[in-house]
Amino acid sequence: MTEFKKLCALVSRNVKCYFKDKFLFLVSLITPMILLVLFVTFLRSVYIQSFNSVFSAFGFTPANNRVTEGLAGAWLLSSVLSVCSVTVAVCSNAVMVNDKTENTINDLRVSPVSGVTVSVAYFIANYIVTLIVMLAVAAIGFIYLAIVGWYIPAANVFAVFGDLLLLVLFGTLLSGVIESFISTQGGLSAVSTLVSSLYGFICGAYMPLSQFAAGVRNVITALPGTSGVGILRWHFMEGYIAEFGAAGLNEYGQKALLDGFDGNMYIGGTQIPLWAMYAIISGTCALLLAAYIATVAIKNRKK
Amino acid sequence: MDDGKIIEVEGLYKSFGEVKAVDDLTFCVKRGELFAFLGVNGAGKSTTINIISGILKKDLGRVTVCGSEVDANPAQIKSRLGIVFQNSVLDRRLSAYDNLKSRAAMYGIFGEDFNKRLKELCEMLELEEILKRPLFKLSGGQKRRIDIARAIVHGPELLILDEPTTGLDPKTRLTVWAVVEKLRKEKGLTVFLTTHYMEEAANADYVVILDGGKKAAEGTPHLLKNEYASDFIRFYSRTDEAEEILRAEGFPLKRERGFLEAELKGTRSATELILRHPQLFEDYEILKGNMDNVFLKVTGKDIKED
Repeated sequence: MTEFKKLCALVSRNVKCYFKDKFLFLVSLITPMILLVLFVTFLRSVYIQSFNSVFSAFGFTPANNRVTEGLAGAWLLSSVLSVCSVTVAVCSNAVMVNDKTENTINDLRVSPVSGVTVSVAYFIANYIVTLIVMLAVAAIGFIYLAIVGWYIPAANVFAVFGDLLLLVLFGTLLSGVIESFISTQGGLSAVSTLVSSLYGFICGAYMPLSQFAAGVRNVITALPGTSGVGILRWHFMEGYIAEFGAAGLNEYGQKALLDGFDGNMYIGGTQIPLWAMYAIISGTCALLLAAYIATVAIKNRKK
Repeated sequence: MDDGKIIEVEGLYKSFGEVKAVDDLTFCVKRGELFAFLGVNGAGKSTTINIISGILKKDLGRVTVCGSEVDANPAQIKSRLGIVFQNSVLDRRLSAYDNLKSRAAMYGIFGEDFNKRLKELCEMLELEEILKRPLFKLSGGQKRRIDIARAIVHGPELLILDEPTTGLDPKTRLTVWAVVEKLRKEKGLTVFLTTHYMEEAANADYVVILDGGKKAAEGTPHLLKNEYASDFIRFYSRTDEAEEILRAEGFPLKRERGFLEAELKGTRSATELILRHPQLFEDYEILKGNMDNVFLKVTGKDIKED
């Protein structure tokens, strides 16, 4: 019981350390802010043009622009949330790295608290912080969609929140494993920069996978992060596609939209079902958890 | 049973790759005493402290704290010692209150127990006014008081101070020592100190001098000074006459503005000199050798240059 209370105290301390560091908080929000600026400046019109070209190919003219506007926003929001689940986790885990660089970890080591409790506290705090930031971003995104065009069924909203729980777990475990090897500020900056700039590309969040060459597309689709993007894409897009269907877009047109904008994902021509994407991301979480436990065990034995 | 010894270290070895940080170190610290570890950077002081406090594992040897082996029962030992690190390791952006609350929780002190302990610490260290302020907004002396409060938040028997006054101004240094002395008197704390400042080591009950990871000398400051440091006589009058006589008798001499200083083997030598040449001793003083002299003699290094 006491060890559990110690764990809660450490989690509370770690969360406070993150939110009291305004610079760290702002750095965590850089990726969503960049995507938002890109969306406002040109991505929105690019997406809408692409949607319209699909509609033209199938002889469909949407009667209501709100659905098209909403779909563009929903696509962006699925990108932002999938990327941020990792980038925010990497930034917020800076509390763990800072403890090493500033030798605060020694203060915890001279306390009668086990190294496992300290490591678990970092993990839980990182999960909570990342989830709070993600929920805030999701809330802002949902408000935007409600304004420009809301066509997401209630079940899909709940599914999105379920997806976030899973994706935050993935991001938290990934950052935990990577950053457990980092003990300098330089290392942390390098990893944060690399992840922030690269992750969106290698998980297919910044542009539709159909834009990539076939070989690259297959490799990217096979990566677990892309499955994270895939499940969010489906839950965000499904309602809009159904709305277009109800307005007269035939099933080939609907499939073309889903295929072209990653609502459906393929490896070598075979479609990956939704359950398989969940399996891939869950399996990866299990592997990362095993790696995290092994890292914690090795670190505690070394000293 | 610890026979009045709170720390016992026997044949301690610790290496980092090819570097022998601690090399066959043996010493003990008695309950209630102010024990000083003296050495230049890299002498092995911090490594030894880190082993005693459970941060590092030893390669070889036996380390007992409060009657328990450090490797056998680390959690029990950790709850009985507190440590003030050379540089503050508390959370800069959190308030003093949040820092103390989170650290107290590590010792199982929560809720009302914490509030009670915090009140005691506030009275003891005058923390009330700075409690709600973030650490990065506090002065060096205020931060040090919070560091000490953190180290004793759980009421330890042993307080380890790793160069606690390095980098502090003289006034803050005095404040820190006033707090430590108060704790020793009121709580009977054993204090294990590492320091660069010889005047701090001179106030210790027992001193161990480390050099290259090995023990170079040990004893009370008085014994060390008697054994390793020379005494000095300063003549403020009849300096020309004294210089002539003492030079003829082979005493090392140093002339400074306003006085002549002669180095003697010990206090007895001074007494003999006074008896031999009473006419020279009109205005003079006898100075005991200090810990600087001891350190220089023992290690061949001047700690002030470190």
